Amino acid sequence: MNSFLKRLKEFPGRAASWFRSLPGRSARFFRSLYERAADLFASFLNFFKSSNQNVRASLCLMGLGQLMYRQYGKGILYLAIEIGAVLFFSLVGFTWISGFFTLGTIAADPWTGQEGDNSVIMMLLGLFAFVILILFLVLYVSNVKDARKSQLMVLEGKKLPTFRDELKDLLDKKFYKSVLFVPILGVSVFSVLPIVFMILIAFTNYGPDHIPPNLVDWTGFESFETIFSATNIGSTFAKILGWNLLWAVASTLVNYLLGLLLALLLAKKVVKGKAFWRLFPILAYAIPGFITLTAFKFMFSMGGPINDIISDLGGTPIHFLGLDNTWGARFIGLMVNAWLTVPSTMLLATGILSNAPTDMYEAARIDGASSFRQFKDLTLPFVVFATTPTLITSFINNFNNFGVFYFLRGDIVPSEGYTAANDTDLLINWLYRLSIDNNYYSIGAAVSLLIFLITSIISLIVYVRSPAYRKEGTFR
Amino acid sequence: MNAKAKKVLTALWTYCLLIIVAFIFVFPCLWLVMGSFSATGNLYNIDGFFDTRLSVDAFVKLFTDTKIYDYPNWLLNTFIVASLSCILSTVLLIGTAYVMSYFEFRARKPLMKLTLVLSMFPSFMGMTAVYLLMTQFNLLNNLLGLVFIYSCTAPLGYLVQKGFFDTIPHSIYEAARIDGATNARIFRTITLPLAKPMIVYTALTSFTWPWSDYILPKLLLSEESNYTVAVGLMGLGEEEFSRFAAGSVFIAVPIIVLYFVLAKNMVTGLTAGSVKG
Repeated sequence: MNSFLKRLKEFPGRAASWFRSLPGRSARFFRSLYERAADLFASFLNFFKSSNQNVRASLCLMGLGQLMYRQYGKGILYLAIEIGAVLFFSLVGFTWISGFFTLGTIAADPWTGQEGDNSVIMMLLGLFAFVILILFLVLYVSNVKDARKSQLMVLEGKKLPTFRDELKDLLDKKFYKSVLFVPILGVSVFSVLPIVFMILIAFTNYGPDHIPPNLVDWTGFESFETIFSATNIGSTFAKILGWNLLWAVASTLVNYLLGLLLALLLAKKVVKGKAFWRLFPILAYAIPGFITLTAFKFMFSMGGPINDIISDLGGTPIHFLGLDNTWGARFIGLMVNAWLTVPSTMLLATGILSNAPTDMYEAARIDGASSFRQFKDLTLPFVVFATTPTLITSFINNFNNFGVFYFLRGDIVPSEGYTAANDTDLLINWLYRLSIDNNYYSIGAAVSLLIFLITSIISLIVYVRSPAYRKEGTFR
Repeated sequence: MNAKAKKVLTALWTYCLLIIVAFIFVFPCLWLVMGSFSATGNLYNIDGFFDTRLSVDAFVKLFTDTKIYDYPNWLLNTFIVASLSCILSTVLLIGTAYVMSYFEFRARKPLMKLTLVLSMFPSFMGMTAVYLLMTQFNLLNNLLGLVFIYSCTAPLGYLVQKGFFDTIPHSIYEAARIDGATNARIFRTITLPLAKPMIVYTALTSFTWPWSDYILPKLLLSEESNYTVAVGLMGLGEEEFSRFAAGSVFIAVPIIVLYFVLAKNMVTGLTAGSVKG
C-alpha cells in the first residue's frame, strides 16, 4: 500500500517529464523510422544488383524464375496464383477495396426504384479483399525469396530440390506450415476479420438512423464522444462500468476463496471417500450453464418454489429478480455464479495442492505452527503463486460474464435512467442489447473497444505485479 | 479437552460442512429432475419445491408431442453440430498446440502475442460481423455455418494444450529423429499416443461447448427446423416447466456421465493450463 501511495505522489512529476520528453522522443522515433526505410531501400537495391536474371524474372512475374530453373511444378503453382490474383482483383477486388473507402455513394431511392449501396457489406468485402491482398503479397515475397535461394544454391554448386522433395519437406521440417495453414485461415476469417470489422464500425455512424439501405459514413471518434458525453448513453455507460468492476472483483474473489476452501476441506486427512464427495460439485460443473441458469430463474420467479414457501408461511411473495430489486438480484447473480464456477476452481486448486511441497509442511509442523498459520504462510502463497494466470483469466471471464444476467434477467425491460439496459447488466450484456436488439452498432463497437482496453490494461497490471512474474522460480 | 475428543470434533464439523456443500450442489439438480417427473407440469401449480404426484408424462410428451416443440429434431441438430465441431476442433486445436510447443519458427512469438491480444476482445464483439459474413457465404440458417464458426475459432484456445505438450521432454523426439523419422511421423506415432488424456479433454470440452451454447445458434438459426436444443428449450416458459426440465435432463445426463467417466482427464487439462499459463 505504501509503495502505491509513493507512486501516486510521484505520478504528476513523472507524467510531466513524460510530456516534456515527448517532442524529442517522437523526433527520434521518426528519424529511426526514416533510417529504417532508407536501410530497407538500400538492402533491396543491393539485393536487386546481386540477383541474377531468374530472380529478377520472379520479381516481375510470379513463378517465372522457378520455371527458368526448371522447377516446373512450383513455377506453375506460383504462376497460377498470380493469374488467380490478377483475375480476382480485376473482376471484383478493386471495386471491393474502393468500396471500403467510400462506403457507398448511391443512396436508395424508393421513388425511382434505385437500389442503394449496402455500406456495411461493402466494408466487409473491402476487408476481405485486403486479406486476400496481404496473402498475395506474402506469397509474392516468398516466390522471390525462393528464386533467390535457388540462385545461391546453384552458386554453391548444390543440387536444387525437386518438387517432390519440397512437398515431402512439408511433412518434416516445414510440418508446422502444413499444420498451421487451416487454423490461421480459419481464425483470420472468423475471428480477426470480424474484430477488425467491428473496430472500424466504431468509427462510423452505423446506428439506428443509418442502417442499410441508408448509407453509413466514417465519422471518426463520434461514437466515443457519445459514450463519454452527458447524454443518457453516457450516464448509462458510467453506471454500468462501475457495477461491472465491482461485479468482476467480487465474483472473482468469492469464487476463488470458496473454491480454495472447498479444495482444502476435501484435502483434509479425516475425509474418507474423497472421490465421492467430489462428485457433487462436479455434477454442478457438468450441467450446461444455460440449463442451471434458467432453472435458477424459475426457482426465484414469482410463481416459483421459494415464493410458494414464503406465502405458505404467511409472507408476501418477493419479486427476487424483478426490476425494483436491484441489489437483491445482483446478490442472487453473485451466488448463482459462485454455484456455477466454484467447482472448476475447486478442481484446479485440488490439482495444485497435490503438487504442494510437503517437506515445508513437515518443517512447519515440527516448528509447532498452527494449522491456520500453515494455511496463511504456506498454502495460500503457494496456491496464489501457481494460480495467478488463472486468476487473471477468471477476472476477465467474470468481467465479461454474459450468461448470468442474460438468463436470470434477460426478459426484463430497461431500467429507468438507462439506455437499452437494466441495472444488473454488465457491459457485455449492454453491448449485446445495443447492437443485436437496438441496432446501435457503432456505439456497441465502441463499447467493445473500451472493454478490450479495460481488460487488457487490468490484466497487464496484475500480471506485472503478480508474484509469478516478479519472483519466477520461487517454488521451482 | 483431550486429543481424541478434539479429533472427533474436527471430523464432526468437517463432515457437517461436507454434507452442507453436497446438499447445496445437489439440491437444484434434484429439483430439476423431480420437476421433470411432475404430473402437473406447470410451475405455478406446483406447491413448494416438489410436486406430490409423479409421472413420466413429460418425457413421453417430449418425444411424441412434437407439433410445436420438436424436441427430437432439436436433439438431432445439436448432435450433428456438436459432434462435427468436436472432431474438427480437436484436430485443429491439438495440431496448433503441438506446433506452437515443439517448433521454433519466426512467426511463433508474434502469433502467440496476437492470440493473447485477440483473447482480450469480448467474446462476441464480432457477432454482427459473423452474422454478415454468414449471409455472404450463404450459410445463414445452416448447421454447417455453426460448425465452421465453432471449429475455426477453436485453435485460439490452444494455450492449455500447449502447456501439456511443453511438459513432454524433447529428448524423446530427438531419439526418433536420429532414427530418421519425419516430424509428421513423430507426431503421429509418438506425440499423439502420449497426449491421449489431453486429446480426451480437448474432445470433451469442444463437444460440450456447442452442445450447450445458446447465443450463437440463437443468432444464426431463425428457422425452427434448424433449432438446437438450447434455443428450443429457452423458448419454454414457466407453464411448460416439466417439459423444460425433462428436455434439460435428457441433454445434461450424457454430458454428466462423460464428465464422471473422464474426470481424471479433466484435472489433467485444468492443471496443464494453469501451471504453464
